[in-house]
Amino acid sequence: MNLENLIKDTFTAREHGAPDSDAVLAAARRRIDSRRSGLSRPLAVAAGATVLTLGAVTAVVLNRPDAAEQPQTIATAANGPQDSQAPATPAPAGLQMPYSLGWLPPGSVAYRAQRINIGAGAASPDVPLYGGEYMLTVTADGQVLEVDVQQFRMVTVDEAMFKSGPGKSVTIKGQRGVESSVSAGPGGYELYVAHPDGGSMYVHVSAEHGSTAPAQQLVDTGRRIAENIQFPGTTTVTPAFGLRDLPGGMRICAFNVQQGLDRSPAAPKTSTSYSLGTCAVLPTVHVSSAVVGEPAGTPGQPVQGRETRHVDENGYQRLWVLDAIGGAPVVVAGRVPEAALYDIANRLVLPS
Amino acid sequence: MADYDDFARAQLPRLLRYATMLTGEREQAADLVQDVLVKMYRHWPRISGTDHPDRYVLRMVTNGYLSWRHSWSARVIASGDLPDEARADDFASDHAAREDMWQRLARLPKRQRAVVVLRYYEQLPDFEIAGLLGCAQATVRAHAHKALASLRNGLAIEQMAEARETR
Repeated sequence: MNLENLIKDTFTAREHGAPDSDAVLAAARRRIDSRRSGLSRPLAVAAGATVLTLGAVTAVVLNRPDAAEQPQTIATAANGPQDSQAPATPAPAGLQMPYSLGWLPPGSVAYRAQRINIGAGAASPDVPLYGGEYMLTVTADGQVLEVDVQQFRMVTVDEAMFKSGPGKSVTIKGQRGVESSVSAGPGGYELYVAHPDGGSMYVHVSAEHGSTAPAQQLVDTGRRIAENIQFPGTTTVTPAFGLRDLPGGMRICAFNVQQGLDRSPAAPKTSTSYSLGTCAVLPTVHVSSAVVGEPAGTPGQPVQGRETRHVDENGYQRLWVLDAIGGAPVVVAGRVPEAALYDIANRLVLPS
Repeated sequence: MADYDDFARAQLPRLLRYATMLTGEREQAADLVQDVLVKMYRHWPRISGTDHPDRYVLRMVTNGYLSWRHSWSARVIASGDLPDEARADDFASDHAAREDMWQRLARLPKRQRAVVVLRYYEQLPDFEIAGLLGCAQATVRAHAHKALASLRNGLAIEQMAEARETR
């Protein structure tokens, strides 16, 4: 067998591992229906200010183009309630993002924030390096802006790729950048700006389909967001559930916290997923409340007083902990022994 | 938007398989395609008006993989130690060879992996891959060359072939 045939055979042999179409379509449909029914405002705080911090341990300063153009320091949850929709039950510890957004356009925000592991530094191979991304939907006065901010440690400004239109040079707070602006379509405004430690930061601002925004507004918004990105990050996001005392050598390599998809009062306000492992190899265990499809398999051992379902799909193990968060399950999955899944499941910090 | 549903249902199996090959992980593939489905809904009037909406959506999945969500496999990370030296017995079965290759694929940089998946799984010609990735054909060939060199490095089947030739 030659190399190319081996590659083809390898792909073909993995086809059976593709996710179930119906489950993915159903999950997408829920998200679509949730968006159509309107954005919830879990992050909206007083005076129209918006803070991407729930249960934060530090303050977040937001510059806003309102009032007297004065920076506002938004009190954190530790200093008092900000959000009438915040869950009444004690939240698991906040997850810190690698960088913060010091400014956002006015309006209510639906968000998805994730931290990823992108390897380790050459000087300290045992210390993981993290990158992160914010995906925000900002709604104000009927206008809906989609904002995406992410860190590319491996992509320089010279390697910038735009969704549409050529790029042109720009300087953002003394850093070299390249930007592209298209008033309509998926391109919107895109900006890559060099990061002092290498790589680049990417900012993308566009009007949601069906919404409109002047091209210059997108440009101004994107540049201002880029100007106010703060390193290191002090922003934390509160997950729907946490993890405690991971087994030796295991870390949270990546997390993803997203505004809840279900607007019913009983549903969790956010969904959360974690990728666990040593961070030196691919994460071995995935833990998620964003469950796709109905729990399947046979009843397993109870976890934290909750029923479970377990299934072994050719060595890929899944363990659902039922009724874990507001009636919804949490799934722990990976190509690891079943006992390892139970071990992780017993370390879940679930809301009471 | 019945046509959206019809299109999504028709394309979904292929997109999910493709995303699985890109990300190497079932959960991440599901997340990636789910995001694309939501975006596709938002922009359906425009997408459905293109000459090849299937190719457009394939590009959305590719871009999603290469950008954030994608952060997934960008994790520069190995999925296990490669053997110091290959022994014929270790790879006597096709299964072992494929498992080894799957791990090697996981180590590729994202763009190289995307080129390999598009070329050897989707079986697209280089000019179409270039169109999907928004780069020149020469860049596609360069990515493919580097990827194949990485995948071949220390590969048991190559060593076994060499061994047979020298007998």
